[in-house]
Amino acid sequence: MIKPMGLTSTQLISYHDIQVDEIDIYDDAWGFYQEFSDVFSLLDQVRPEPGKQLTKRLIERVRQQN
Amino acid sequence: MKKTMTDYELIDGFVKGDQSCFETLIQRYKSKVFAYISLYIRDQALAEDLFQDTFLKVIQSVKTGKYYDNGKFISWVMRIAHNLIIDHFRRVKQLNTVSNDDYESDLFNSKKLAEANVEDHMIKRQIQKDIRKLISQLPDDQREVVILRHYSGLSFKEIADITDVSINTALGRMRYALINMRKMMEEKKISLTFN
Repeated sequence: MIKPMGLTSTQLISYHDIQVDEIDIYDDAWGFYQEFSDVFSLLDQVRPEPGKQLTKRLIERVRQQN
Repeated sequence: MKKTMTDYELIDGFVKGDQSCFETLIQRYKSKVFAYISLYIRDQALAEDLFQDTFLKVIQSVKTGKYYDNGKFISWVMRIAHNLIIDHFRRVKQLNTVSNDDYESDLFNSKKLAEANVEDHMIKRQIQKDIRKLISQLPDDQREVVILRHYSGLSFKEIADITDVSINTALGRMRYALINMRKMMEEKKISLTFN
């Protein structure tokens, strides 16, 4: 006699429930972040940001243009 | 209020005369655009000029109706930045001038260093300098993918669109870039010596 496998204990989600908005599926599929975590850790030490003065200058130029 | 508005709503507001809408867009994307340009162009002054030119060009295009919203405003902005960089290198090539490869100054706003002591600060600055040097030694196409993906946060689909290659090519370039980075890290014995 075949017994039920008890699959009902696991709540399955539908395809549309899978949240991929913030995920690059290609990146995920290629597994770069797992494989090269050491390189990414190093890259993370650098975060170029525009200085406040530069942003201010840009906004002033934008205002002048209008 | 404006911070929660979509890119499209902000562009629409700007076109209708609300200047502050564009300023919100600048605040929203300035880091991504600056990271791309400043890591690609080693001359700080030039990078700052191109950074400003990118946004001014965006305004021109928006005003002349050249932007059609498809939910990818930042991709479009990055393409403009990409084209400005390409134009710059074309001009430099024509003028037969030398690029600023010997540019050495440290351009980075370090992560919170306030509490670090001077020695730690110096080590960090040196490491940042080394990392920047490693990035700059990658072939152009590999360097661009790393910057656009890691620092500007674009997807491979967007990177492929901007650089006019297939997604597989963009992915391949990323892989080669990371392999090369690791190789250089090992050769130059660069590692994180602080937490």
